[in-house]
Order: sequence, then structure tokens, then C-alpha cells
Amino acid sequence: MTEATTTIENKTGIHARPASLFVQTASKFKSKVQIKAKGKTVDAKSILMIMSMGLVKGTEVTLAADGPDEADAVKTLKELIDNKFGEE
Amino acid sequence: MADKIKGKGVISGIAVGTILLAGQNLDGYLVNYKPGKLDAEKKKAADALVTVADSMKKSIDDFNEKGLKEQAAILEAHRMIIEDPALSGAIDEKLDECGSAPKAVLDAAEANAQIFEAMEDEVFRGRAVDIRDVGKRIAKYLLGIKEPEIVGKVIVAGKEIEPSVIAGLPTDKIAGVILGAGSTTAHAVIIAKTRAIPTVVGVGDGIDQMANGDPAILDGGTGEILIRPSDKERAGYDEKIKKQEELKAFYATLKTLPAKTLDGAEVELVANIGSPKDADAAIKDFGATGVGLFRSEFVFMGKTDIPQEEDQFKEYKAAVEKCATVTHGEGLCVIRTMDIGGDKPLPYIQVGEEENPFLGYRAIRISLKREDLFLPQLKAILRAGKFGKAAIMFPMVINVQEFLDAKAMVEKAKRELASEGKDYSDDVQVGIMVETPAAAVMAPILAKYVDFFSIGTNDLVQYTLAVDRGNAQISYLYNHFNPAVLRLIKRTIESANKEGKWAGMCGEMASDPNAAILLLAMGIKELSMSAPSIPRVKEKIRKITSSKAQEILDKVMEMEDGDKIRDYLAALVV
Repeated sequence: MTEATTTIENKTGIHARPASLFVQTASKFKSKVQIKAKGKTVDAKSILMIMSMGLVKGTEVTLAADGPDEADAVKTLKELIDNKFGEE
Repeated sequence: MADKIKGKGVISGIAVGTILLAGQNLDGYLVNYKPGKLDAEKKKAADALVTVADSMKKSIDDFNEKGLKEQAAILEAHRMIIEDPALSGAIDEKLDECGSAPKAVLDAAEANAQIFEAMEDEVFRGRAVDIRDVGKRIAKYLLGIKEPEIVGKVIVAGKEIEPSVIAGLPTDKIAGVILGAGSTTAHAVIIAKTRAIPTVVGVGDGIDQMANGDPAILDGGTGEILIRPSDKERAGYDEKIKKQEELKAFYATLKTLPAKTLDGAEVELVANIGSPKDADAAIKDFGATGVGLFRSEFVFMGKTDIPQEEDQFKEYKAAVEKCATVTHGEGLCVIRTMDIGGDKPLPYIQVGEEENPFLGYRAIRISLKREDLFLPQLKAILRAGKFGKAAIMFPMVINVQEFLDAKAMVEKAKRELASEGKDYSDDVQVGIMVETPAAAVMAPILAKYVDFFSIGTNDLVQYTLAVDRGNAQISYLYNHFNPAVLRLIKRTIESANKEGKWAGMCGEMASDPNAAILLLAMGIKELSMSAPSIPRVKEKIRKITSSKAQEILDKVMEMEDGDKIRDYLAALVV
């Protein structure tokens, strides 16, 4: 199990386009990937669950992956969030 | 032999194509569905998810290849929802409860949609629509209802058709529109009108005789529809199609000529548009000399989030620039601030259930309460004004105070732009739509404050006569020649002229060539209509003199019955 914690900084939070991007990226990995925030833990490969968490700007999230490519998965997803999903 | 259906033709022209049913109700199918054993149903549902997702992949690739990025992105979002483990989990749970795969899919989608709808963030709320859409798509597959493939041209048919259905299809694919409801002013019809798509309304249950993929011919002039016509029947329409082409060619010759009476009185004939693209066609193909009504809510629709100032600015700028290219006339682009209410709900403007949406929280009433919506729109228009001639028009105004409050917002928008160092135009005209009896009655006072009036007859007629424009049972009462309506219009135009302002019209009535005669005599300066109507109205204006028009108006104002006025005008040989 690999974990990393970060804060969502992009203006619009994780919804719509960022959520699609996030799920698409998570789905590329074989490992089981989860996202934890606001006391809930959900499947990072589920766009419905991620969006239902309402991850707005300023939310602290923890990424957790378990599987053969777990380190890579956490690193890639954390970068995606830290780079504000390519938004300005 | 074909099945013959008769409705009311509202946009003339012959259309040949295959039926595409919109807005299907699945209830009947669900009742008739015979579910198998629970395991079998579960497998069926799981397989359906895979199959539907696969078929979507194909469409997505297709759209991408054709450069239709937006359509592709919408489908891509839908595909992700289908492949979502949360959805398949919910379907399994619902199946344990009801045992029917299609019902479980719809219920699961509904449950998920409701989670989203309950969220505080407006953008998240908007996703509920997508989730329901996806549920319906899978349920249809399970019920054996084929998603029609669009091959060649289609005739879109439905008891009611959501505007997004027509807006979402490529223009060159829609040959015709058939609407079960009786309204000639339904939003679907309004869109069809901007694109000159032959349309028949009021066929009621006639819709039930059609199936997806049925070949059909529609005559938007007579209201006749033939479903599954024989070769012979089809050939019978060849002559009409030929005439249609000839008329088109004649209208093309009018394109560059001014809308001037025989004695030289000129009226601006401009276009009602929903997007900058429409302005392009209106000016290039139909000779519009500007835009009299840019329905900005179409900029807001089809979006899950409030369009930002920057995005709106791009749309308005494109339309304003387009108008500035006209070689004749004013080249003015009148942009109406958003006219949204209960009849056109949006994910980020929650109006809530209202008893009377047309008398409810809508249009300027929302704008004045929601600075977060109003200010970016005003700023975007003011900035676009730099690229030609723009005007701001407020809808639904009923009193002087509303106009003053809205005008104050325009000033605030200017101050903000100035402090942000953004370029904007300081001489953007600010006017109102006269579409409530209150505004028409108060026209002499309002005229002192506004730069212009534009009479919106669709609402003015319906509010004045207390006639719901969508109700087929009383649609015979809906008549813009009703003497009460004519008096309000005359009062409005004369009030504007008296104060040295101008009055135009942007409702349905403006596209009626017979009405143009009356309006001309009343002193109207501008008629704004769906672009394909421009040649017809222009032809009428070019054949008459001001004195003859005045004579006709005098006679009409003495008449007491709207239907008689309409018949009298129709029988006139000018």
C-alpha cells in the first residue's frame, strides 16, 4: 500500500472535466486505487463516486493504491492534482 | 399506401427523410417487459452495459474524426458513467428489489442522479441530467428499442421535443420536424425556424403511428405527413420540390436589395439568432442587415456551469463582428440578456417547481437578483461592442424601476471593466423588450428612459389575451391581429417615435408579411425574424407605398375582430 496526501488547488475542484481526467488516469493502473477525503473512502476509478464527494478547491485528499503499480499510480495521480489538472 | 397524418404546417417546405423519434416514454415498454430469473437478469444488465459502452466508443471515434469535439466529449462522459463500478453496483442492488433489468437500470440511474441533484455545487447538480440520459439509453437497449442510426436526413418527431434534441443534431441532417403538441412557438419550433426546417405541429397521437427509421415525407405548408410512402406517392411530390427550389432561387435575387417601399420608406430587416453561426447564415444567405434578437440563453444552455465572461465575450464578439460586415443597413447586433425561467430550466439556475413559470421567477427578475450571472453577461456584451455595434436588451420588464436597476448594473459593469483595464464600448444602446401589457401601457413613460423598444409579440399576445401559446385547445384564440394587441403595439411604436427613440419587433408577428404592412404604417423601424422569413417580408414591403399601408392600417384599426382582420389582410391584393 502506497499513500500520499495533498490538497486540491485548481479553481473548479474535481468535477466534470477534471473528474473524467482523474478517473481515466486512475483506470490506467492495475492497482486498486482509492481516494480518501472528508472521512469517506471511495474507488478512484468511479467517476460517480468521486464526483459525489464534492471535492472543491481546498479539500485535503489522500490517495491510496494497492497492487503491482501502486507507487507509480499514487505519484501520477498526485501530480495530476498538484498540476491543477492542467488548468491555468 | 402510406399512413397519412395531418397536422398544422408552421414552417413551409417539403422534407423527405427517415423518422427519428425524440423524447420517448418508456413506461409502456416497461409494463410489457417479461423479466427472467434474477441471475439471468443480472447477466443481461451487465452485458448491456458492455454492449452500450462499446457502441458509444464507435460513435465517439466517429465524432472525433469529423471534428465534432463537443459531441464526442458529451458521449465520452456518458461512457464513463456506464463503465462506472458505482452504477453497476447500484443496478445489482435494485435488481434484488424489482427483478427487472431495465427497471433496475432506470432506478439505479435515478438514485445516482438524485444524489447529484441534492448537491450544493451547481455544476455537480448539472450532472444529474447526464446520469438519467445514460440510464435511459441502457434501458432502451434492454427493452429492444433500437437507437436509430442517423443515415441520410431525418425528420425529428415527438409529442414534445426538447430544444437540445434539435440543437444537438447537425443542421444538415435534419430535413423536417413533427411535433405532437399544438404550439407554433415551442422552443423546438423556434430553433427549426432559424434554420428553415419544414415543420408540422399539432399531430397529437399521430406520433404513435411512426416508428424510428420509417421513411416519410412532410409538407410544412399544408401540414400533410406521409409515413412509409409508395414510390408513386413520393413522385407526386417531385413537382412541389421543384417549385420550392424555384422560389428559393427567386428569393436569392432579393438578398442584396433593400427593404424599401415604392416611395422609399425603409425598414431594417434583421435576424433572430441563437448563436453567432446563425448570424453568418442570416446575413450571407438571407440578406439580414443585422441581428435584432440574439437569444443569449442558448449560450447558457447545453452547459453544465455558468458561462464565464470570457466565453460569453467570444460568442457575442463573433456575432457583433459578423453584423459589422453588412454592406447595407445598420449592422446592429441586439443582444437580449438571458431569458430563462421555468420553461427552460438550467442546472445552475434552479427556479424550482412553479405553478406558472410564465408568470414566475424568470428573465430580468432572475438577472436582477443574481449579480453573479448578470454582471459577467453585461461585461461580455460591453466588451463585444468594441468590435462593431452592439445593443443590450432586457426581457420581461414591467416597470421603470426594473429598467433603472438593470441600467445601473450596466454602469457598474462599465466601472468594473475600466478598473480591470479591459476595453469596452461606451455607446452600447440599452433598451427593453416590450412583451408584457404593463410595458406596452407604460410605453410613453418608459420611452423617456430607454434607447429603444423591441416588441416581443409571442409573450405580448399570450399575456394580453391570457392564452397559453402551447395549449392546442385554445390556440385559435392566439392571434397577433387581435385588436387589443394591435392597439398595444401601435401605442408602443408611437411612444418611441415621440421621444426620438426607435421601435422594432422581434416576435413571431415580425415574420408575417401582412403584419409588416401595418407595422410599417405605425412607424416601426426594424423587424427581426428568423432569417428564412426575410425574403418573404421584403417582397411585400417592396411592393407597397407608405400611403397605401396607412390606408390599410386605418381600415384595420376600425375593425373589431382579430380573425376578420387576418382574413381581410390575407385577401388583399397589394
